[in-house]
Amino acid sequence: MFFKSLDLTTALRPLLLPDEILLFVQDAVGLYEGVCYVAAEDPRKYSVAIDLKEIDRVESQAGFLKSSPKLTIYPKPQKKKKTDKSRSATASPAVAQQSVLQPTQSLSHIPQTNLQQSSLSPKPTNATWICPICSFSNPVPSNFDPATANAATNLPPCLACGIKPPFTTVLKAAISAVASRESPLLSSVASLAIAQDIDQPNANASLSHFGSGGTVPCPRCTFVNHPSLVECEICGAPLSAGSASANRVDSPAPLFEQSHIANTEVSESIKLSFRAGGDKTFHERLRGALVQRKWLLQNAPPVPSPSQGASEGLLSPVASVESTLPSAPRHSGVGIAGLERRGLEARKKNELVIGNAFEDLEALMASAKQIVALAETLARESGMTTNESSPETSAVLSESAAALGMMTTKDMLNSGSESLYLSELARDLAEYLTDDRKGILHREGGIMSLIDLWAVFNRSRNGVELASPSDFQKAAELWEKLKLPVRLRRFKSGLLVVQRYDWTDEKTIEKIQAWMEEIQRVPPDDPVPWDWSLFGRAVTAQEAAHRFKWSVGVAAEELEMAEDRGVLCREEGIEGLRFWRNHISSCGYRDFCRLAI
Amino acid sequence: MTTTTPFPFPPTYNFPPFFTPQPNTTTRHSQLEKWSSLIQSWCRHHRQYRLSLIDAVESPLFHNTALRKRLDLREARAVVDWMTKSEEEGGGGRRAEWISDAGGTSSVGLGNGAGQGLKTVAWIWWRRPEEWADVLVDWVEGTGQKGSVLTVYELIHGEGAMSQEFHGMDTDVMLRSLNVLVKRGRAQIFGGEGQEGVKFF
Repeated sequence: MFFKSLDLTTALRPLLLPDEILLFVQDAVGLYEGVCYVAAEDPRKYSVAIDLKEIDRVESQAGFLKSSPKLTIYPKPQKKKKTDKSRSATASPAVAQQSVLQPTQSLSHIPQTNLQQSSLSPKPTNATWICPICSFSNPVPSNFDPATANAATNLPPCLACGIKPPFTTVLKAAISAVASRESPLLSSVASLAIAQDIDQPNANASLSHFGSGGTVPCPRCTFVNHPSLVECEICGAPLSAGSASANRVDSPAPLFEQSHIANTEVSESIKLSFRAGGDKTFHERLRGALVQRKWLLQNAPPVPSPSQGASEGLLSPVASVESTLPSAPRHSGVGIAGLERRGLEARKKNELVIGNAFEDLEALMASAKQIVALAETLARESGMTTNESSPETSAVLSESAAALGMMTTKDMLNSGSESLYLSELARDLAEYLTDDRKGILHREGGIMSLIDLWAVFNRSRNGVELASPSDFQKAAELWEKLKLPVRLRRFKSGLLVVQRYDWTDEKTIEKIQAWMEEIQRVPPDDPVPWDWSLFGRAVTAQEAAHRFKWSVGVAAEELEMAEDRGVLCREEGIEGLRFWRNHISSCGYRDFCRLAI
Repeated sequence: MTTTTPFPFPPTYNFPPFFTPQPNTTTRHSQLEKWSSLIQSWCRHHRQYRLSLIDAVESPLFHNTALRKRLDLREARAVVDWMTKSEEEGGGGRRAEWISDAGGTSSVGLGNGAGQGLKTVAWIWWRRPEEWADVLVDWVEGTGQKGSVLTVYELIHGEGAMSQEFHGMDTDVMLRSLNVLVKRGRAQIFGGEGQEGVKFF
């Protein structure tokens, strides 16, 4: 069982970890998992994530007659490469790619992994890379590990022509080789280290699998061994079940308890049923994600400085392992010289990262995490050093980082499903509006016209995947239906505005009244012919807009709304339209009656 | 027709929005009520029974010089229009009545309503004829003149009625009030045009 409960954002979408990205969204998907079927009616309750560090294989099955196309996902807990799939509410599952482990996890595992790797890191691989110069097929160096290698790793030159290969060529070759390799071939060390990444449910899985029969099948040759054996009798492969289960018993916080799915039994596979099509794209993207294995980067160490890499000379297994250790002590100088040197190293590292990233589109994708981190750092630094002096620059920088974040684009969805696109757009908008970092709605005084929002929103998309006005309006009309925290409101004049869900006319009127009372207490600058202590003074839409940070159009509408409620009354004059507290129907009436009789 | 004390304007008279027609129905209703009260008390203060809008829009009644605000002719007409309607029609309880007949106005000193078309001059009923009739009956009974005969001129300008509210009343209004009493069977009018006599029962 690797269903996990899922955190949802305000827009009822999966909350992605910092480096996760949305790959694909598809609605109308049924989920079969053993006998368990999840109907997603209450989004918060039934949303489920397959925290799948552990998908192994995916098989697709075409639809036949009334049976929908299905996708079967086989979990393979022994392998630590997996896509993270998130399922969002209202039956629109999203595949996200996980590229970051929980910090605690990776910290606790590194020392062990590292210890064992030093003894057996040269793993037999039969990967080859093609020299771009002479197209000779070279073997990938045996100590080249795609999970830890980076551009600073030294690569042997081509055997035929002696030209050093680009890093990305070797990386891709190594990745594809790893992808084609079967998991049981992994060394014992790898499986042991990974076993601790497995969640408690997996421990249950192995226990119920192996424990019940009292025998342990070898993962490599499938020979059924006696449970007390540590290694396979036939092939000598390590049997991880016994030892792993011993220290997994007390592993904390079984995740299945957090899940709302009642089924705690182990299932061999998960079936997704695509009732509205889209299975092909979904399958493709999922497979693509599986092949790319970007999550391998998740515990990649920080890029070592070039100076360090250069000093190591040729690869030695131990040295390379050490260089990948984040905990490896770095004897840098102290004092100003040390700081200077560190700054220099950081700059060189940044140059290297940027240089590599643009070498190749694939490499850019692989380096996306670093690039985003870099962009964020730059934004932060510029914000700190210039300190408000160039807010626009830092805004642009942070927006460029945000632009790499989660935005649903049309091609991310099945092109046929317009309604899904609209609902995703509606969610995007709601998230965009309620995002505290940007504070769009707050800055506009809690209310802004739809036109303004459209302009701001499209600008923030940096000119790609712009939303059309009609799509935009349709999406905004969906807010109410999707129970999102913003709502669309139409003023009498037909002006469409966006407000927080809990914002009401009464609140606006309260604000206006408080303001009016405030005005009444302040004597006017120039003598006025009326009794200001009784009537106060008039306000215009411009003043209201300034006071409440509304746009003028919105302010005019709000004032007229208050007038409509009888709170204000109007005065038309050569100065234009001005609004007063309504003294016509509230006060002074009694005086009149007295006079009249 | 004139009194020495200045007319005490109500506070709302100095409220600028008072001179702008309000779009909100509720507010508009209160606004019209206030205008109606203002016009009635103005006329009462000045012992005025008919109001010529042409003249009135230039008077302090509709023109607040301090605020530099005014009710223009069209708006003033709308207010009086509202006053002419009964409360059942959403109006001001028939506190006014348009004088449509130009010939009728010519006999009175305010005759410049003639030739201006309809709806420029109106009776302002700060007391309606029925109410005047009651006042007259009370006075007649109070002074023991039941059964005696009085001329209309005596009623309006006579020394006996000097202290009464209807002293100096418009002749047309007096006749309408007396007609109300006739219908009720409390009085009888005889005599010719301009020399009517009245007998109270």
